[in-house]
Amino acid sequence: MNKLSNTPVYHTPIYLDYAATTPLDPRVLEAMLPLLIEDGLHANPASSHGPGFRARAAVEKARAQVAALIRAEPTEIIWTSGATESNNLAIKGALEFRGAVQAHVITSRIEHKCVLDTCRYLETRGVRVTYLKPGAQGLVAPEQVMEALTPDTALVSLMWVNNEIGTVHEIERLAPLLRERGVLLHVDAAQAAGRVNIDLSQVPVDLLSLSAHKAYGPKGIGALFVRRRPRARLAPQMHGGGHEQGMRSGTLAPHQIVGMGAAFEILAREGPTEAVRLSALRERLWSRLQSLPNLHRNGDPDHAAPHVLNVSFEGVEGESLRASLPDLAVSSGSACSSATQEPSYVLRALGRDDELANASLRFSVGRRSTEVEIDTAAERVCRQVARLREISALWD
Amino acid sequence: MDMQSTSSNDANAYGYPPRIWQLFQQAPRAGRFEPGTPGVVAGKAGTPAARSVLSLEMRFEQGRVIDARFRAYGCPSSIAVGAWIAQWSQGREPAELAALSAAHLRAELEIPEDRAHCALMGEDALRDLLANIKT
Amino acid sequence: MPIYLDNNASTHLDPRVLEAMLPYLSGPAANASSLHRYGRLARDAVEAARAQIAQLVGAQPGEVIWTSGGTESNNLAIKGVAGNLAPARLLYGASEHPAVMEAAESLVSRGWTVQAIAVDKLGHVVESALQAQLARGKLKLVSLMRANNETGVIQDVARFAPAIHAAGAWLHVDAVQAAGKLPVDMAELGADLMSLSSHKIYGPKGIGALLVRADVELRPLLHGGAQERGLRGGTENVAAIAGFGRAAELVMQELEQRSAHLLPLRERLEAGLSSIPGLLIFGAGAERLPNTCQFALAGYDGEALLMQLDRRGIAVSSGSACASGSGEPSHVLIAMGYDAVTAKGAIRVSLGKDNTADDVDRLLAVLAEIARTLIAA
Repeated sequence: MNKLSNTPVYHTPIYLDYAATTPLDPRVLEAMLPLLIEDGLHANPASSHGPGFRARAAVEKARAQVAALIRAEPTEIIWTSGATESNNLAIKGALEFRGAVQAHVITSRIEHKCVLDTCRYLETRGVRVTYLKPGAQGLVAPEQVMEALTPDTALVSLMWVNNEIGTVHEIERLAPLLRERGVLLHVDAAQAAGRVNIDLSQVPVDLLSLSAHKAYGPKGIGALFVRRRPRARLAPQMHGGGHEQGMRSGTLAPHQIVGMGAAFEILAREGPTEAVRLSALRERLWSRLQSLPNLHRNGDPDHAAPHVLNVSFEGVEGESLRASLPDLAVSSGSACSSATQEPSYVLRALGRDDELANASLRFSVGRRSTEVEIDTAAERVCRQVARLREISALWD
Repeated sequence: MDMQSTSSNDANAYGYPPRIWQLFQQAPRAGRFEPGTPGVVAGKAGTPAARSVLSLEMRFEQGRVIDARFRAYGCPSSIAVGAWIAQWSQGREPAELAALSAAHLRAELEIPEDRAHCALMGEDALRDLLANIKT
Repeated sequence: MPIYLDNNASTHLDPRVLEAMLPYLSGPAANASSLHRYGRLARDAVEAARAQIAQLVGAQPGEVIWTSGGTESNNLAIKGVAGNLAPARLLYGASEHPAVMEAAESLVSRGWTVQAIAVDKLGHVVESALQAQLARGKLKLVSLMRANNETGVIQDVARFAPAIHAAGAWLHVDAVQAAGKLPVDMAELGADLMSLSSHKIYGPKGIGALLVRADVELRPLLHGGAQERGLRGGTENVAAIAGFGRAAELVMQELEQRSAHLLPLRERLEAGLSSIPGLLIFGAGAERLPNTCQFALAGYDGEALLMQLDRRGIAVSSGSACASGSGEPSHVLIAMGYDAVTAKGAIRVSLGKDNTADDVDRLLAVLAEIARTLIAA
C-alpha cells in the first residue's frame, strides 16, 4: 500500500535523447572558438579582403570534411541552417525547378515532420503525393517504392534512418533502381550520418540532407548534398546575393560551419567503433527493460540504427509515465511534436493503437552514455511503470 | 520530510499544481479490496480511448464509508482525482458523497481548464458508485 | 592584424556576447522543443532572448520569429505574405538589399506584379513615384529599408507608412543595417514586418529575426515542426539566439555611446577624404548612418582599390559583401543615377564600435599615397 519508496524523486538526470540533439563535442567547440573571438576569423566569407578570404578558407575546409564523411565532392555540399531547411530546399527546390505542378512525389508516412509538412504544402500547389505505409516493423521496402512509381513521378523522398524508431531503410538497394528509372531520390540522413555507413560514391542518391546538431556539432547549421554528375537541379528557396552556387543565399556563419566540419571529421574517424558500442548499450537497455512484462519494441531489430530504442508500455498512460520520469531525458515521439502530446504518427503508421502509441518512450544513446547510466535508467523506468500499473484501472 | 518535499518540488518538472503532484506521487489508497470483502460498492467512469479510466471502491458500514480504494489510468490529474475522492470519502454518508461536484473537485485540486474532464470523470465515477448502492 | 573597416558586411562577436553563448555551447545538450528538463532550460534562454529582441524595437515577444539571418527574414517577409494571398502587387525601393529584390522578383513567376520605386540622387525614395504606385490599387506589400547597407542613407520610412497603410498594404522594413546604429521602433516607423540580423550588431552569424505584427498572416518558408508558432520550422539555434539577445541588450545600453563614438570618426574620415582630389562621397547630402561612408576615387576601379587597401592591411568593401567580386556595378548607385564607371569605383568604409581615430588616419594616409601614385601615373 505504501508507495512512497516508489514515488518519483529527483535524481541526477540521465540524458538519453541523443536523437533529438547531441551535446557539442568539446573538440568541436575548440575548433569553433577561434572564429568567435575578437580578431578572429570574424569577417563575412563573401567579402573580398584578407579577413574575408581567411573566413572563406575555413568554410571550404569544413565543406571538404563534410563531403568526406559521405564520400562526396566538396562542391556537392550546400550549407543550410539545418536539416529542416535542407529537406525543404531539396523537395520544393527539385519540384519547382521542374516547374511541374502535375508531378508526383513518393514519400513515407514515417518521414520527419518537416518532410511531411513540405509535401502537404506541395499538395496545396497541385502536386500529387503518395505516402507509403511502412510494414509493422517500420520499414518501407524498395519494392513498395517501385510499385508506387507513375510516369510523372518526379521525386522520391525517403529517410535513411527513422528518428523515432531507428529503422534503417535499404537506400543502397533503392537508389540504383530509381536511377535506372530516372527518378530523383532525396534522402533525409539527419539521423544516419556517422551512425550508418554512407558512401555516395557508390550509392546513387541525388539529394541528401545532413544536420550538425544530431552529430555533436552546433545547432543552426546543416547541409544539403546536391549531386553534380548527373547534376541534380534545384530552384533556390532563399533569394538574395547568390551564395552557395545560387542555390542558397544568406551570409554564411563560419563558426557554425567549421563546427559541422570538425564534428563530421570526428564522425568519420570514430563513427564505426562508436556504432558498435552504442548498439551494445541499446541491447543492454532492452534486455534490462524486459524485467517488465507486456512491452513492445517498435522498429526492426535486424535493421536498427545503433542509437535508438523505442518501447511501448502496456497499461500505463503516456503523460503520467513521462511525469514519473522527470530526471530521465527521453522523448515521446520526435522532439518537434512532443509539446502537442499527440500520440506519435510514426507509431500509428506502424499500426499501434492510440493508447499504446501514447505510452511509448524513445531512448537514444550517444557518446557520453555509459553502462551504469543505462542500468540506472532501466531501473527507474521499470520502477515507475510498475507503480503506474499498480494504480492503473486497466491493469490486472 | 523536508528533503522529501524539496526533492518532490524538483521532480515536478512539468509544473503540475502542488496538490495534484503530491497525490499523483504518493497515490494513497491506490488499489482495490480483496474480492469478497463485505460492504464494498464499486463505480467506474471514463474510457481507454479517451486515455482516462477511474474506478472507485468504497466499503460501507452502517451507512458510512469506512474505507476506500481507487485505480486510475490516465494523466496525473486523473490519478490525483481518484486519490482525493478515496481519501475524502472516509466517514461520509451517501448524501454527502452525492453532493460532491466536478466544480468542487476542480477548486480543491486546482485542476486547470484543459484538465476539467478529469474532475468530471471523478464526479461520474462517484455517481456510478452511488447508483450501485441503491440497486 | 588588419584594420577592419567592413562592419556593415559583418561585425566581430562582442566578447560579452560570446560569454552569453558559451553556456549553450558547452552546457548539456538541449533541444528547446524537448519537454524534459534540459529542453526547458534551453526554452527559457530562447524566450529571454525573444523579449530582448522585442524590446530593442518596441515590439511584443510574441511578434518575434527566429530565422537564420537577414536574408531569410527578408525572404520570409515577402514570400510569406505573398504565399497567403492571391497574386496582387508588391513594391520595393530601388536601392533595397538583393535579398528583398530577388525575393520580390521571384513572385513574378507566381503571377504577382512587382515594381521598384525610384530613388533620387541622394538615395531617398521619390515620394511622387511612391504616391503614383500607391494610387494604382491591388497593393498588398511595400518593402523599404530603414538604412542602406552601401551608402548608409536613411530612409524616412515613418513618413510613408500612413499612405502605404491607407492603400491597403502592409509595410515591411528591412532594418538589418539600421538596428544597432539608430533607434529603431516598429510602431514609430509604422512597420508591420521588420527584418533584423544578429551579426551586424556584434552578435553571432547564422541568426536573425523577423518581427511580425499579430494581424499579418504569413505562410512559412521552412515547413515542419511547430517551432515559432508553426511559421518557421527547425530546431532552435539556442546558443546563437542567446547571443543575439545579449547583443540586442548591449545595443540598448550603448547605442548613444556608440553613435557618439562613430560619428566623429566618420567626420574625421570625410574631412580627410575631402582633401583628396577627385573624391566623391555618395549620399553626402542625406542623413546617413553614423558609421558608413561610401565614396569613389575618380579614375580608380573600386575592386582594384579594394585589393590595394587589402594588401596594406585595411579591409573595406566595394559595396555589399554579397555582390563582391561579381564585377557588376552597385545596383544601389545605379539606382541613384550614377553611371556604371563611377559606380564601379565605389569603396565602402563601415566603421565599428571598436575602431579608433588611428584606424581612420591610417586609411587616409594609405588612400593619399594611392591617389598620389595615381596622379603620378
